[in-house]
Amino acid sequence: MSGTPFLTAVARIITRHKLYNIRLHTSSYTAMALTQVSSNKCFDGFQKVFEHDSTELKCKMRFGIYLPPKAESGKCPVLYWLSGLTCTEQNFITKAGSQQEAAEHGIIIVCPDTSPRGCNIEGEDESWDFGTGAGFYVNATEDQWKVNYRMYSYITEELPHLISSNFPADSERMSISGHSMGGHGALICALKNPGKYKSVSAFAPICNPMQCPWGQKAFNGYLGSDKSKWESYDATVLVSAYSGPQLDILIDQGRDDQFLAAGQLLPDNFIAACTEKKIPVVFRLQQGYDHSYYFVCSFISNHIKHHAKYLNA
Amino acid sequence: MSNEDVEAIPPSSSPAMLDETTKEYLFSTDEGTLSKASAEAQVPTAHLDIGPEGLSFYNMDLYESRERLDIFTEELSSSRTEDEQFTAMEDSNESRPRTEEEEYDLYTAEVSEMARQYGIWDDKEDMEMGFQTQEPFVMVTQKQEPAVQDIKTWGEEPVKGEPKERGAGEKRDSIHKTPAVDEGGSMEHHEPCYPSEGDEPQSHEQYVGQRQYSEEAFKEEEWVEEGSQAMKASRGDTQIGEFVGFSAKTQEDLTMDMDNPEDGFRASEHTHDLEEGQPGAQAGGEDEVPDVFCMECKIAIRAFDKVFGSHKDHQVTKLSIAAEDTKVEIHKTMCKLEEQIAQMENFASHLEEIFITVEENFGRQEQNLEQHYNEVIQTLTQRYEDKTSGLEDEKKQKLEKLYSQLVNCGKTLDISKDLIEAAQEICRNEDKLAFLQVAVPTVERIEEYTASDPDLKLSASLEFENDAIDFSDVRQMMDSINIVPAPSAPVINPQTPNSSTSTSVRVCWSLFSDDTVEYYELYYKPVLEGTTADENEEQDASMVKVKETYCTVLNLVPNTQYKFWVTALNTTGISPASERAVYMTVPSPPVIKKKLCRSCPNAALIRWESGNTNPVDSYTVELCEISRERSETAVTESIVGIPTYESVIQLLSGRSYLIYVRAVNIGGPSERSDPVIIYTTGTFFRLNEDTAHPSLAISEDGFTMFYGDEYTELNDITFSDNTFSRCVAIMGELIPIRGKHYWEVEVEEHTEYRIGVAYEDTQRNGYLGANNTSWCMRHVMTPSRHKYEFLHNGSTPDIRITMHPKRIGVSLDYETGKLAFFNTGLSQHIYTYKCHFLHYVHPCFALEKPGALTVHNGIEAPEYITFS
Repeated sequence: MSGTPFLTAVARIITRHKLYNIRLHTSSYTAMALTQVSSNKCFDGFQKVFEHDSTELKCKMRFGIYLPPKAESGKCPVLYWLSGLTCTEQNFITKAGSQQEAAEHGIIIVCPDTSPRGCNIEGEDESWDFGTGAGFYVNATEDQWKVNYRMYSYITEELPHLISSNFPADSERMSISGHSMGGHGALICALKNPGKYKSVSAFAPICNPMQCPWGQKAFNGYLGSDKSKWESYDATVLVSAYSGPQLDILIDQGRDDQFLAAGQLLPDNFIAACTEKKIPVVFRLQQGYDHSYYFVCSFISNHIKHHAKYLNA
Repeated sequence: MSNEDVEAIPPSSSPAMLDETTKEYLFSTDEGTLSKASAEAQVPTAHLDIGPEGLSFYNMDLYESRERLDIFTEELSSSRTEDEQFTAMEDSNESRPRTEEEEYDLYTAEVSEMARQYGIWDDKEDMEMGFQTQEPFVMVTQKQEPAVQDIKTWGEEPVKGEPKERGAGEKRDSIHKTPAVDEGGSMEHHEPCYPSEGDEPQSHEQYVGQRQYSEEAFKEEEWVEEGSQAMKASRGDTQIGEFVGFSAKTQEDLTMDMDNPEDGFRASEHTHDLEEGQPGAQAGGEDEVPDVFCMECKIAIRAFDKVFGSHKDHQVTKLSIAAEDTKVEIHKTMCKLEEQIAQMENFASHLEEIFITVEENFGRQEQNLEQHYNEVIQTLTQRYEDKTSGLEDEKKQKLEKLYSQLVNCGKTLDISKDLIEAAQEICRNEDKLAFLQVAVPTVERIEEYTASDPDLKLSASLEFENDAIDFSDVRQMMDSINIVPAPSAPVINPQTPNSSTSTSVRVCWSLFSDDTVEYYELYYKPVLEGTTADENEEQDASMVKVKETYCTVLNLVPNTQYKFWVTALNTTGISPASERAVYMTVPSPPVIKKKLCRSCPNAALIRWESGNTNPVDSYTVELCEISRERSETAVTESIVGIPTYESVIQLLSGRSYLIYVRAVNIGGPSERSDPVIIYTTGTFFRLNEDTAHPSLAISEDGFTMFYGDEYTELNDITFSDNTFSRCVAIMGELIPIRGKHYWEVEVEEHTEYRIGVAYEDTQRNGYLGANNTSWCMRHVMTPSRHKYEFLHNGSTPDIRITMHPKRIGVSLDYETGKLAFFNTGLSQHIYTYKCHFLHYVHPCFALEKPGALTVHNGIEAPEYITFS
């Protein structure tokens, strides 16, 4: 399903001419219309937001993309950023301050939304930790949700395809990172697709959703009550089954994170599993930091360097 | 060339064989007897021009061919106009090859080249043998080549060889056409290889290129030689024939029985005829070819002879080996000769010097002689003048005296006569009385007069006064003519650069130009501190006698001042001593303390000992970069005027350097010290054992530290100020460069350690990381897990690592103020300190429990550390 070379080439040419809103046809995603919502010059590159009709999610989706100056002249690796509960594509691009480091290392950063929106599913807007803004990066199996709530496929398949077709992105060099629920998303995407992502990192990730209230609520809602289905979306469980290229996982966690104390994040379980499985993790418990984007923006440059090490190797 | 012959030769080897014949020309040309005409007739001119080069490639010295051939080449080009008609004739043949040339595949060219090379050597052997074994007709037939060539070469007598040549050609026509067939054949096959005259330079290059290439190939592919035995068989007799022809030709040249010049051109026509007429000739000598070399007779023979002939019991070897051996021998001889030449040149220049000196000395002697004789003559003249004027005076004086005496005499005479007359008159008086009266007074007057005796003595002495002339002074002068004056004091020169070594100095002085000096006495003695008095100086001074105005004084003490003075002597006497000049021997070379040298990617710290007891002025550090394809290590950089015993030298990263140190004083630089090799790959430092905690043992190589199990009674240990007394730690000695450094430490999974950096003056009684002068990664085992701490000032961030590093990379970057730790096995970044290092820091290592750490140095920093 990867784009044909021809299309890739066309996409490149189109990107060069800054004509992003062009319709491209591929085998599985037949219609991809990109509409530019905003474009702002930032550290010699551009921070843009696009809207498109998602085939996986059957709704209009927005994503932010930072194009470093290097993207003018060649293909760049892509870092996917998955945001946390309640977030949209805007939080990261306005708060994290990732652009400078991304410009320096020539990395494209793509920030998708956190769930489908406006699908008119009953109860989708009822709570902040389920439904809209809380897709939990799973492919829902419950009837109510399974049509639209396919965030896992959207993140791992449709979006990368869209990006590599429309932007000077090197589809061979991808990394993934995220915050909170997005941290959970990043970890499971990496662990479920060995080799697909060159590196993975997370800020205060929900490490063991099966064991925490947020996760249990979401998994129960999207996947049903069969806990065996949950396991395929739980990072701590996935770790013990991981086999693939050596990972190098960087996790930052604020010590004063209220959700850490509330047992929503459970990094110790993940670390224990990784220690057991000899999967390299550097876990940094950052004194005094909480769960906010202030915490994220304090260490985002470390994370981008971490990814740059593998993306630009 | 007959068809049969062509077929007889293997197709692959035929070009080789053809080249073979070409080469023969070249060889002959070498001997100076071939000329261009025949070459042109048989091969394109371009080929001839190539010839000398081609030959010289192998053994130019052997035949001294280069110069000669250069001349030939010139002559050839100058005589080209004459040859135009040949060129024209050949053009039809020669213009074709350019295009075919490309079609010739390289391999064929190689083969031909190889054969060419071989041919040269084969020739040499064949030559000797040729006289013994070849049949006469071959000689005759071959003769034409050298002869014709000669015509062309000796432009002024263009015809000389020609008639003979023609004769030979005719003969050949009439007798056999045997060897010439080769040439004819070669012509045809060869042309494609060698372009026409117009393209000469270009083709030449190309040709040389091929040749070089093929020479390489040649060595590997001996088989070609064997493979072309058949070809050689035919080649051999050609060579022999040619050689004989050449010698015959030389004789012809000497006899000078040549026809008129115009015939020269006909010669070429003739050779042309030969070419055409050659087919069918080759056959004769095919089994005559020598293919082995008789070791005892030193000649090439046929294998047949080895089995049946006179060489039956002789040891033989392959021609190629014999040729190689001979080549080697000749090279040896050449080397010897070169040495001799060098010696003779030295001797000649020495003789020249002496010649000049002798000339000068005699000139001076002549001048001296002339001057002295002039003096003597002047003196004599003076003496003569004095004498003559003295004589004149004396004469005048004496004559004056005699004259006055004469006058007096006349007066006396007159008086006497008067008296007689008066007496006679008185006597004639008859009056007695009157007579008496008058006579008495007259008698009285007469008596009175006669009473006084007339003075008849000469008033002037007849003797010469002063007749003895004193020549003694003149004699002395005469004697002194041959005595040279004693020389005046020579002027001793101050020390010049590079005139001394550690044990010798070269002292120079000069004399006044009109002094004649037989030899000099050079005195010297070391300058001793505190002894200023000049007394007794002469006594304990050493002395050497020298003829020259310089002397190299040996067996001195390094880095020491010596006082020198010199006196000049000749047969007459000794000059006063010159001024005292102080010369200084250069120091002994320093000794690099290799154990104390450190480096990083862009610099090295070199430390050394003086190697001299006295202080020297400064040190010079010399660097030689060692490149992989180096042939020599030329000094690439020198740092001079270093006053201390160490120096930080800026270097380029990723290179290898040989570093030498010289000590320098007034006398100059010492010999080089032994070198230290510095690799600017990564950072290199050693552990400073002075800082090691007493419980810490260091391996012999200095890079592994052990903290043993045995309990050491700390009270018994005396700590020096520099020793870590609390933390079982040791400090490394990092090069003081504010750049980037990287090193690695090998640890065991359960080793409890602290690894980091600290200021040099960090508290020795504290724990690493517990203060603000040290930074370290600490690993401890808690009952539940491995705990990693990154300590500075006693605090650490909370960091957990799931994989326990076996090897820790430490990266220190002063510029960005970062100290980073890595798990090198995973290329994993663990932690980065950000701090501004005010002073230089040094690597520190500590063990908290018994165990070991090994430092790995000189490792290139991995790329991933830049993403920390």
